[in-house]
Amino acid sequence: MLEINKLCFRYSRRSPFVLRDVDLVLADGEIGIILGKNGSGKTTLCKNVLGILKPVSGSLRFDGEDLIRMSRRERARRIAYVPQNIQFGALSVYDSILAGRISYFAYRAGKEDEEIVEKVLDDMGLTSFADRNVEELSGGERQKIAIARALVQEPRMLIFDEPTGNLDIANEQLILAEARRAAAEKHIGILISLHDLNQALEIGDRFFLIKNGRILYTGGKEVITEAAIREVFDAEVRIVEIDHKKIIINGGKIS
Amino acid sequence: MLLLIAVILLAFAGLFIGSSHMTMRDSFGALFKKGNAAQVRILWNIRIPRILAAIIAGAGLSVSGLIMQTNLNNPMASPATLGVSNAAVFGANLSIIAFAGGFLSTGNNLNHYAVGANPYATSLVAFLFSTLSILVILGLCRLRSFQPDVVVLAGIAVGSVWTAATTILQFYATDVGLSAAVIWTFGDLGRAAYRTDLIMAVVVLAGALYFYAVSWRLNALLGGDAAAKSMGVNVELLRFSSMLAASLITAVCVSYLGIIGFVGIICPHVVKRLLGYDHRISIPASLLSGSILLLLADTLSRSIGNGSALPVGAITSLAGAPFFLAIIFSRKGE
Repeated sequence: MLEINKLCFRYSRRSPFVLRDVDLVLADGEIGIILGKNGSGKTTLCKNVLGILKPVSGSLRFDGEDLIRMSRRERARRIAYVPQNIQFGALSVYDSILAGRISYFAYRAGKEDEEIVEKVLDDMGLTSFADRNVEELSGGERQKIAIARALVQEPRMLIFDEPTGNLDIANEQLILAEARRAAAEKHIGILISLHDLNQALEIGDRFFLIKNGRILYTGGKEVITEAAIREVFDAEVRIVEIDHKKIIINGGKIS
Repeated sequence: MLLLIAVILLAFAGLFIGSSHMTMRDSFGALFKKGNAAQVRILWNIRIPRILAAIIAGAGLSVSGLIMQTNLNNPMASPATLGVSNAAVFGANLSIIAFAGGFLSTGNNLNHYAVGANPYATSLVAFLFSTLSILVILGLCRLRSFQPDVVVLAGIAVGSVWTAATTILQFYATDVGLSAAVIWTFGDLGRAAYRTDLIMAVVVLAGALYFYAVSWRLNALLGGDAAAKSMGVNVELLRFSSMLAASLITAVCVSYLGIIGFVGIICPHVVKRLLGYDHRISIPASLLSGSILLLLADTLSRSIGNGSALPVGAITSLAGAPFFLAIIFSRKGE
């Protein structure tokens, strides 16, 4: 379980706070969605949880352990990252995924590491890709490789930063299905930053609505209301229910 | 493996080719200390240390270039990106012009070996200044957690300070001092001696082993800082230690041999083009291809100079650049 308490962050002493007193709790097996406009602090929050950025104050705990004091390697065995702009650096698919095991093997990959990679490749139907160069793959395929790399870290939690940003609709569905499968089958917590509200409602269990570095609303689907969206996104929308599902449609004036 | 055989073959070829008109048979005899004394001396005191220097320095400069390019995510990064060469040149100039330090052993004339008072003074001062430069830049960049663009810019800035200081020194130099100082900057394997070879070998070998040990972490770095950090790599430490090692290798080579350009850019790029980016392969391949290039260039410089060896630094660039261009513009390997 991830517990964030009064987390504050800024990039330097002279710049304004990007995250202010963020509180967030996410249980194992839950899918949490961070929603907000561009520049609201979604990516910054993800990077703080991952230890890529260091918070100025506040606490970050995972199963009661202090994440901020933990070594990079220990942290990587608990939380894995599927970044927004995925680069691998022209390695083969197999090696790109094997790199996810660094926090376990340090210098040389062992038999166990290779077995885990092969299992994940098999589970995700990527075995036929293993020898290809990642540079040759499409955006959706690379996203899948990034998920595979995160999974071989055997994490207790996965963080996705804008996973559907540059994908077509078929790949979007594929990636979100992978995320959901990981949460259900491996019972790991998943935190996803998104700006597409309908995608969020489709897969999310808990929602964190963030604006200017502050979390304004936290809770289940009930927190997604027309008023909340107006406040967080500065946008007019209408929410309709079809088959007991909330659907968000554009309600503003498009001039 | 093939590359290793090529290095060995070239090393032997280098034994037999030179500017002193020895026949192949003479060289072979001299190798086993037969034949006349002068020939034995040429082979054992000049050619062999020189060939060893080419192998070691070529490997060191090449792998340093590879490491700098990976660390800075910049194809133009070279072993000298941290201002190493400029600082070494300043140090050597200071030693030669201001202190009339070590004598000048260009290796082109046997007589020079007899007159030297302290052949290591110039190299030592050059090395001290390049180490100072490395520490200043890495120290400064620590403040910005080694962001690649900051490191590159800091290297340019500090490098230009050394160049400016060198210019001022040279302005006050005597004609003799100036020419000695300028000749020092020509990369020249003729300065090699067994002792300097040994020092270079230890530094290059230690660096190469370290790089090979962290090759997976360097691979992770290819995917960007954020991803590498999330996979558990201590990116700042890796950058600091690998750039320090690469720069020290360069500092040692440049201090003893002068500036040998281009090896550190061309070899890693050719290797990456042909064999891919995986550091488990590109590190050993860069080492060996660097040795090959410098051996080739040195053998060439000794055979076309007609009596005196041309500066090998010029040959690496002259011979390397067209080949490099051909690789860049060919579609092969894409």
